[in-house]
Amino acid sequence: MVDEEGGGMIEFFGEVAAWFGDSANWFGTSGILNRLREHIQITAAATAVSTIMAIPPAVWLAHRRIGGTLVVAVVNIGRAIPSFAIVVLFLPISIRLGLGIGFWPTFLALLFLAIPPMFTNAYTGVAGVDPDLVEASRGMGMTDREVLLKVETPMASPVILAAVRVAAVQVVATATLGALVGWGGLGRFIVDGFAVRDSVVVFAGALLVASLAIVTEVALGAVERRVVPSTLRSRSEHVESIVA
Amino acid sequence: MRTHARRTIAGAAIAAFALIAAACGSGDDGGAIEGPTITIGSANFSENALVAEIYAQALEAEGYQVERKLNIGSREIYAPALEAGELDLIPEYIGTMLTYLGGTASPDSAETHAALQVAWESAGIDVLDYAPAQDKNGFVVTKATADELGLTKVSDLAAHNGTLVLGGPPECPEREFCLKGLEDVYGLSFTEFRPLDVGGPITVAALEGDEIQVGLLFTSDGTIIAKDFVLLEDDKALQPAENLAPAVRAEIIEAYGDKFAETLQQVSSKLTTPELTAMNKFVGIDGKDPEAVAAEWLKAIGVTE
Repeated sequence: MVDEEGGGMIEFFGEVAAWFGDSANWFGTSGILNRLREHIQITAAATAVSTIMAIPPAVWLAHRRIGGTLVVAVVNIGRAIPSFAIVVLFLPISIRLGLGIGFWPTFLALLFLAIPPMFTNAYTGVAGVDPDLVEASRGMGMTDREVLLKVETPMASPVILAAVRVAAVQVVATATLGALVGWGGLGRFIVDGFAVRDSVVVFAGALLVASLAIVTEVALGAVERRVVPSTLRSRSEHVESIVA
Repeated sequence: MRTHARRTIAGAAIAAFALIAAACGSGDDGGAIEGPTITIGSANFSENALVAEIYAQALEAEGYQVERKLNIGSREIYAPALEAGELDLIPEYIGTMLTYLGGTASPDSAETHAALQVAWESAGIDVLDYAPAQDKNGFVVTKATADELGLTKVSDLAAHNGTLVLGGPPECPEREFCLKGLEDVYGLSFTEFRPLDVGGPITVAALEGDEIQVGLLFTSDGTIIAKDFVLLEDDKALQPAENLAPAVRAEIIEAYGDKFAETLQQVSSKLTTPELTAMNKFVGIDGKDPEAVAAEWLKAIGVTE
């Protein structure tokens, strides 16, 4: 019996490998390459837009010490709402606004997913810069603008970039939900495979999403290492625990 | 709790009074008929509960004692309950029920109905005459598309092979009743298939937004009327028959005789797909009370006054 089960597992992975080996599964509208393109397209757009929407206001508000815990708390409420609920809630809104199904409900849900952690971490990152350092910078004759751009932002950059990276990985994983509202992306393999009870396709889809998430993590990690000032790098590891 | 209990008692008192009143009533309202109470059940979706309500009101009008147990659950729950005698009557879809019992449904209603009667007889269930109304998979286009391309039946789509997008449930490409059948039986081809939902709001939105031109919805979906969609006729009979028929315990027929079956058959004979679709729209989209919709329709077809 044990052997049979082991054989079943091996057979299953063999089928998954065969699925990836079949060129018919790579090309065309519902092929891996097109689904991958769609997945990258929506996750890149959602991550970029949420970065623009979350980071500058968070940095500025923290610099001016406006809002504090209240702002963070309000933004954080967004994190308590399941992404699935947001996708489903945005569907009728998107339809009513004439944005249709597919891309927009998924995109808006991903914004809601990505903005809160980015905002919170950027805010706490800047607000957490040593006040003595800020004071010293002013004492050296730096303008308000210089303090923000030359001291606070670089000091907080490990936290901010780590937040963007973690959010991007979440966005890659969550974009699979788009398949439930008519969007493409790699989630299609999971949803369509499940609809015909084909666990090989479901597994292959999950594998593709996980791989893309890992690639995202590694790629953004590399960007971080290049951008963060070398003297602050040790902080980057410490940041990990705050963000996660 | 207490108010609730009081209300229940009051309700029971009123019901008892109504029973006595009905029992003493004169012959022209039909009067109460002696015999076992008929427990009517339904599946847990609005169309099925509505048809059960129609059966209930039609029987009540004839003077039968009726108890409602609507919205029970899925077939796995209500079918055994009917066989066990907890329910006496349910509205059922002949094709799906035959498949549930291990048979094979065909596009021919009479054939499927006959097969279901045979399959369910041993469990003590009689399947009475079926209504023309069917709730099955149907291919739908917008009015604009239908007018522009001159579409009334599924086979008309063949003239537009390679130019239209089909939308439906994700399993559609693998199913005979869906894309596979459209290709094999009708010889159709589409530019693309878009996986959406199972006859739900996403398919409707995709049709409206012209993201797809042909969509799979259920034939009695009220949305078809509400959105002015055109249901294409399944002229090459791809879909198995899904007519609605009353499934009733044989004991009830024995207790009351043919007159009981006649009442339900009168209802079934008038229940067509467009009538059912319109009622589904009233309940599902306009938010009307199903009891009122059932009462109005029974009046309109002359079963009640």
